[in-house]
Amino acid sequence: MKISIFRPSPIWKWILAGAGWGLLLTATLAKTADTNQPAKSSSDLTDMTLEQLVNVKVTSVAKEQTDLFTSPAAISVVTSDDIRRLGIASLPEALRLVPGMDVAQINANEWAVSTRGFNAEFGRDLLVLLDGRTVYTPGSSGVYWDSQDVVMEDLDRIEIIRGPGATLWGANAVDGVINVISKSAKDTQGLLLSGSAGSVDQDSVTVRYGGELATNLYYRVYAKRSDLSDYIDTSGKSAGDAWNSSMGGFRADWEPPSHNVLTLQGDYYYNETVQSIEQVSLAPPAAYSVRQSEYDQGGNILGRWTRNFSDSGQMTLQTYYDHVEQNTGFGIEYLNTYDIDLQDRFSLGSWNDFVWGTGYRYQAVDDSPTFELTWTPQTQHIRLFNIFGQDDIKVVPDRLHLILGTKLEDNSLIRWEAEPNGRLLWTPTENQTVWAAVSRAARTPSLFELDSRLNAVAFQPPPPSPPALVSIFGDQNNTAEKLLAYEVGYRVAPVKNLSFDVTGFYNVYQNLLIAVPNPTVIETSPSPTHLLISSTYLNAGSGDTYGVELSSQWRVVDNWRLTASYSWLGTRLAPESDYAQSPQQQFQIRSYLDLPCHLELNGAIYLVGRSTGPLATGFDEIPSYVRADLGLIWSPRQWWEVGIWGQNLLQSEHLEFSSQETPALTDVPRSVLGKVTVRF
Amino acid sequence: MGWMAHVLTWCMCLGLWCQVCEVGLADAALPEYQVKALFLLNFTKYVEWPPIAFAASDTPITIGLSGESKLGEALKSVVAGKTIAGRAIVIRQVESPEELSQCHILFISGAESSRYRQIIDKISALPILTVGEDAAFAQNGGIINFVLKNGNVRLEIDLSAAKKAGLTISSRLLAVADVVKGKAD
Repeated sequence: MKISIFRPSPIWKWILAGAGWGLLLTATLAKTADTNQPAKSSSDLTDMTLEQLVNVKVTSVAKEQTDLFTSPAAISVVTSDDIRRLGIASLPEALRLVPGMDVAQINANEWAVSTRGFNAEFGRDLLVLLDGRTVYTPGSSGVYWDSQDVVMEDLDRIEIIRGPGATLWGANAVDGVINVISKSAKDTQGLLLSGSAGSVDQDSVTVRYGGELATNLYYRVYAKRSDLSDYIDTSGKSAGDAWNSSMGGFRADWEPPSHNVLTLQGDYYYNETVQSIEQVSLAPPAAYSVRQSEYDQGGNILGRWTRNFSDSGQMTLQTYYDHVEQNTGFGIEYLNTYDIDLQDRFSLGSWNDFVWGTGYRYQAVDDSPTFELTWTPQTQHIRLFNIFGQDDIKVVPDRLHLILGTKLEDNSLIRWEAEPNGRLLWTPTENQTVWAAVSRAARTPSLFELDSRLNAVAFQPPPPSPPALVSIFGDQNNTAEKLLAYEVGYRVAPVKNLSFDVTGFYNVYQNLLIAVPNPTVIETSPSPTHLLISSTYLNAGSGDTYGVELSSQWRVVDNWRLTASYSWLGTRLAPESDYAQSPQQQFQIRSYLDLPCHLELNGAIYLVGRSTGPLATGFDEIPSYVRADLGLIWSPRQWWEVGIWGQNLLQSEHLEFSSQETPALTDVPRSVLGKVTVRF
Repeated sequence: MGWMAHVLTWCMCLGLWCQVCEVGLADAALPEYQVKALFLLNFTKYVEWPPIAFAASDTPITIGLSGESKLGEALKSVVAGKTIAGRAIVIRQVESPEELSQCHILFISGAESSRYRQIIDKISALPILTVGEDAAFAQNGGIINFVLKNGNVRLEIDLSAAKKAGLTISSRLLAVADVVKGKAD
């Protein structure tokens, strides 16, 4: 790269240089004279006054980091620092950082997120919780990522467990669990203003204020507005996927100096999007796309009481109500959820750490019927009761742990399921961890796979044939998809600043739900009389997946960190053509570099192998792609910072996903994003 | 000579840039354990021990550390070569009850949260400044507790516990702390 700079003539150059050096000297002298400034060196730090000490910002090494190293599961964490450094603006984008996680952006407002295979718009085997509240939707069994916006600055961390977590988290925690955890109101005091604007109009404004209502009673309130413009589809036209989102909410934490913490939080959001909707008619037989304005809205309120006992015990009681009005592309789905959960952790002698819990959830799902999609019954009531227990037995203290537990879950749709797991954790030395696990998990069929009829396509075969309708049916006799998972893992930190993590897994799936073709029949209703070419979702699939996930963290020097990960995935599913193919290989490397003068240079490169939609549906192959992001942050003062990021720098656009639910292929463009954050 | 001017100009730009930025250094964040170590050093200045706590006028001030923490290393570099009113500062990792009673300041790390109450019970009548970092430390007999609040380290003080130990805490220290129990005289 050639940098052109201002070239003054020689005489001016010397005058300028003289003036510059003069300024430099003055500044240095001025600074030396200013004795109020604590300087950097460690000996001068001891001159800091008590008043300065109580006001200095501190950075902490979280306790979780050591817990992570000795965890008997494939767990990783995306920290608030990762999110800030890479200028990440949404939850699915944050999940890109996780080893072995397959994150593909479908268009401006939709993402497909999965791990260990089964890549789909509704990443059906992944359970997602926002501060303990499930956002997994029972209608289509997945997550509407565009409706799960948060104030990124208020996030504490995102914990991701790859592999089954059903014993603790319950049904649908099959291939992974994502826990999004926001900061306590105690840690978000003061005013935060942040605004960002981008080359593809990713404009967003956030206002948050935190205060102390009474001694030890903290609160924050926030409002956020985002506007995103259209992406371009593969034919070069506007993809019509622009959206905007308005949201607001609060969180209050009462942390008296006893062992109790009480939390009350709530959010409300309203999103507007423009989407392509597939419409079908029989007279004349046709299927066509319509652009339609949609809206989604929702709100929730959650209360949590945590009591810590001095002998390392803890009890949590949590309850919430969640309301969602989500446009599914075929009308609005109303979902109301009431949930109450109790969890209790205690020590039994010095050998056992026991955790048990119970919970009840009631969900009412109501879909208005359209010609394309009908539900029987139209309103479905789901009642879910669960009880679980797990014991962590110290076979050899500090060296060998055996963890045994199971969950029993009664879902009114499919009745009882048992989800046991057994784990072995061996820490031969302080810098090594070996673990192995066998676990069983279940995915409840979605209401779509149980109760629906989708009229997908209508066409006119050569006369004299009547028109033909292609439909997919659910079946109420369907039962849960089952997984038996075997996992092994090894972590090692050969030296203090370098660590490696490797996980291998072998997953055996049974009762997978796939669409099985039915014989073609003549159907008279809806009129006119037509051929019905149909298939029905049945528990007819099976198969296995296996793979390896490697990751490494290296603190090269104090101000430079590198993180790299690689994952390889193999699948052997029958019938093969019914499943989407996730990328077989993924690689990423991230670099966080702190420069002098409060500058931070952060970059990431992601290599993603090719993937395809289900071959049976004739969807395109997505070629492999390389994605590179680079950002520079300048935080001259504690109270303000400014950052600029280039995303997808290598190509002007690339394709990440093709979805059955969203047929239009949309490219993810190169973009530049700028952001200013002010804190008082 | 041309290249030299270039180098000088760039050095100057870099220097100026750093000078401009340097002003912001007061705002730079420090590791939590380092800030706590700096507080411990300050406690030696703003806490007064009864005469019986020291055998002689030059008996060093002993800071005991109980439980695993990164604070120890930071504290060593913070107190290196420092004397407070003619007394050197000694840092010691303590395990046994006998060692406990020889301390002037005892820092009990968060790793000891399950048994700090037993430790405090043993030494609460001795002239030892107990310092902790567990949520309810100052409610359970500890004298000074570090609490994290909005990214700062703040202090909670139980004055009645300090009085019981025969310690006097200066008003300067009280001014930056929250007194959770007891009253200033």
